[in-house]
Amino acid sequence: MLKGMTRLVSRVHKNCVIFILEQCRGSCTYGCLPWKRETSWLDPGRFSHLGTQAPQCPVAHLDNQVPTERTRAISRTLENDPAKHGEQHVGQHYNISIQELKTVFPHGLPPRFVMQVKTFNEACLMVRKPALELLHYLKNTNFAHPAVRYVLYGEKGTGKTLSLCHIIHFCAKQDWLILHIPDAHLWVKNCRDLLQSTYNKQRFDQPLEASIWLKNFKTANERFLSQIKVQDKYVWNKRESTEKGSPLAEVVEQGIMRVRNATDAVGIVLKELKRQSSLGVFRLLVAVDGVNALWGRTTLKREDKSPITPEELALIYNLRKMVKNDWQGGAIVLTVSQTGSLFKPRKAYLPQELLGKEGFDTLDPFIPILVSNYNPKEFEGCIQYYLENNWLQHEKAHTEEGKKELLFLSNRNPGLLERLCAYL
Amino acid sequence: MAAPTAKVSRGWSGLALGVRIAVLRLPGLTQVRWSRYGPEYQDPQIDKEYYRKPLAQLTEEETYERELRKTQVIKAAPATKTSSVFEDPVISKFTNMMMKGGNKILARSLMTQTLEAVKRKQFEKYHAASAEEQATVERNPYTIFHQALKNCEPVIGLVPILKGGHFYQVPVPLAERRRRFLAMKWMITECREKKPRRMLMPEKLSQELLEAFCNRGPVIKRKHDMHKMAEANRALAHYRWW
Repeated sequence: MLKGMTRLVSRVHKNCVIFILEQCRGSCTYGCLPWKRETSWLDPGRFSHLGTQAPQCPVAHLDNQVPTERTRAISRTLENDPAKHGEQHVGQHYNISIQELKTVFPHGLPPRFVMQVKTFNEACLMVRKPALELLHYLKNTNFAHPAVRYVLYGEKGTGKTLSLCHIIHFCAKQDWLILHIPDAHLWVKNCRDLLQSTYNKQRFDQPLEASIWLKNFKTANERFLSQIKVQDKYVWNKRESTEKGSPLAEVVEQGIMRVRNATDAVGIVLKELKRQSSLGVFRLLVAVDGVNALWGRTTLKREDKSPITPEELALIYNLRKMVKNDWQGGAIVLTVSQTGSLFKPRKAYLPQELLGKEGFDTLDPFIPILVSNYNPKEFEGCIQYYLENNWLQHEKAHTEEGKKELLFLSNRNPGLLERLCAYL
Repeated sequence: MAAPTAKVSRGWSGLALGVRIAVLRLPGLTQVRWSRYGPEYQDPQIDKEYYRKPLAQLTEEETYERELRKTQVIKAAPATKTSSVFEDPVISKFTNMMMKGGNKILARSLMTQTLEAVKRKQFEKYHAASAEEQATVERNPYTIFHQALKNCEPVIGLVPILKGGHFYQVPVPLAERRRRFLAMKWMITECREKKPRRMLMPEKLSQELLEAFCNRGPVIKRKHDMHKMAEANRALAHYRWW
């Protein structure tokens, strides 16, 4: 565990701001790009406060990275099993079949990626170093030890969610039970119907979110639900109850059919899975995207307009118990993201900043994994992939000049590059 | 280059130039659109290739031109003109026309979303089409945009001419830039006014552009209406004195 701590310290010091400031100020109209349909992520007006933060020559840093040899970049690999991915596959895309996509990822893929899958008629994920590192750790986990927590962190658009999806695909192929919460931020904001929880009067239920999650959980883990048996009797109301020893599928069905009990059903599912994964029947992967929502603030209010803290939401309360490392037989992979977070500054990306004191202390110790922008090889691979799918239709995009311009404009940020190439 | 076209754009044609000034000198009318730059100011050279040419390879005229530019005053390059390889003057003009209240960021984002929407729709069509049809499906949003606007340009226009106390709509040949302007204006007005309540501008605009590309749709209909009106009023053509 001490190893995890030193790791964290060393990663934190590698923080550097990579935006190019001087060239983008003033006359560069390509500085403004849309992001989530708000005023843009990189519009010229926002650069003025960044001017004082320029680290040692970021421009020189870019020049050194231009690849010297002009070997043709390979963008695809035929190795579609994540377990066999290695260093030689970095920068290459591997294919996930559409059937697998429907079962493994009923929820959890970023919306722009879903659009890309629909447009290209294929789902290809790029193999990258952070995911490979995590895969290596997962392959060597000792299931007798308490579950290790891994936190993927990085700036906006660097690929944290897709790295998480890569890990989930690997675990699904290895027949683990996947507990995937696609975006914890969605549970702490914009909830229309908050009910007082039947189980505990102090807490609140979110029937809609819970039932949607249960439906997707069922699609992803059909085969396990009939094998796992509940170890307690649960009484839903005067007429319905689930006996001890009945399959977990019944609890999930109950939650989906009776939306009022959905939150409690989720709580039961989490409790049972945590208890039984230590027995070694199955391996559990807890994957939460945007885990900093569990310890932040919510925008939800009671009827008397007083704010609700996250622990008063039953879903969040139960999820917090899940990400504690007091169980064996699996792993916990988390992502901290500022996108979608509430009351956090736009530039914050480090775990300490996003989780806050309470969250960091609860998650401590964890293994932080930095997800950064593409390196030159990955960038070339990405451009090659787009060219192979004829996604870059502009004539100039095929030229060297066009590639250099894309490199400059996106700064090798995967999210930005995708948005740039979408309209070129 | 920009300098000769700038001079032409001040008047419709050589003949009309004198007339235009006569109209402008009427009492009560002042010139509202003019440049602060005098005639001696040259337009800036944005093209990167011009400066990348090594000095040894220049011909005599080019060296003379370079030397001459060193002595001339040059206008400031506008913020919207970049030396980017992906820049398109038609797209820039269209974006400016879509802009409201100076919100260029919003206008540009709408434009890029429109191009993306056009591209995605065409890709869907491409994947759904058979092998022979795939060759005919155009997937480049820029070619579709340019062709659609070209298809929307009217050939002949109507101008109100005052004669004998009445205004008559007289058919008149339009200049190139007036045609481009009308095509873009009609496209934008159509998309703003006739779209369903919850539909966003990129979606509606992509729909209209694709229809105009295939020579169908309300904007093409408006162009044809303009042509029909001009044909109907062709008896008044001799009211035109230029």
